[in-house]
Amino acid sequence: MTEDRLIELIEAWGADPACFPEAEQAEARALLAARPERFAAAIKAAHVLDAALADMPEVLPSAALTEALIASAPKAAAPRGRARFPWAAPWAPASGFAALAAGLFMGVMVAPVASATSDTSEVETVIEHALGFDPAAFTEELGE
Amino acid sequence: MAFTSDLDQITRAAAGDPSAVRALVNRHSAGILSLATRMLSDRAEAEDVTQETFLRAWKALPGWEPRAKFSTWLHRVALNLCYDRLRKRKESLPGELPDMADTRLAPHDALDQSQRVLAIEDAIGALPERQSAALTLCALQGHSQAEAAEILDVSVEALESLLARARRTLRAQLLEGRTSA
Repeated sequence: MTEDRLIELIEAWGADPACFPEAEQAEARALLAARPERFAAAIKAAHVLDAALADMPEVLPSAALTEALIASAPKAAAPRGRARFPWAAPWAPASGFAALAAGLFMGVMVAPVASATSDTSEVETVIEHALGFDPAAFTEELGE
Repeated sequence: MAFTSDLDQITRAAAGDPSAVRALVNRHSAGILSLATRMLSDRAEAEDVTQETFLRAWKALPGWEPRAKFSTWLHRVALNLCYDRLRKRKESLPGELPDMADTRLAPHDALDQSQRVLAIEDAIGALPERQSAALTLCALQGHSQAEAAEILDVSVEALESLLARARRTLRAQLLEGRTSA
């Protein structure tokens, strides 16, 4: 390695030979060790700049920016039912089936009792009274 | 290792895995924001560039092919967005001289830490854009020579030349500031 090349390396990569291209590090170290006074000024100038750059604070994203970046990412596909009814609770379909089953059960249990005890004419009479008719008068009118 | 880890996170993030998305953002957002801030010298614009970079990343994830490191790809996208903005700035100021702000660095003793940081930030921002990018990637972010060269789309030799010119300018300003104070 020539002295000029070592000066170029120091000016480009800084004072630390570890920052030089790997293939040239060994030769550079050897030359620096052999003639330290020759490169002292270049090393010192580079070191001042290295230190100034090392003092630069990190630029960190704010929490708001981080959350905005995350929010802009693709979301996992929602299950079909939830996609159509995102407001529905996951147990909503089950409650519907339970209500249907309960209704059917009650219907089956009540139907035989109702048909055995009900009297059509009595029911009609109750309804007619409720509607303000007089069943007897109505029957007489029909008879006439 | 990081390459494999990236690929795994990319695959899961593409499927909408929130923890993978958060991991990618946490790992890469600071580097992108830092590069854009140094290039543009404007925090708000740098945040816009960071958001645009990640939006492009999210779109690219489903078809991602690991031809390059995800970090390298992200930095290239961010850098190109910065170049676009810098070009638009120049176009919007036709006929005006480039910003000739006084970026001379005052001596260490005369400036406190925050003033010194601001002066160096200004000086980096005033460098030609590729020199500014090279210095930021290598000296401030610690990218390897190969990575920085790939991000800048230049050879390592060209990167060295960019760095040498950038450092020479900063060093001259540092010395000038000292002698003029």
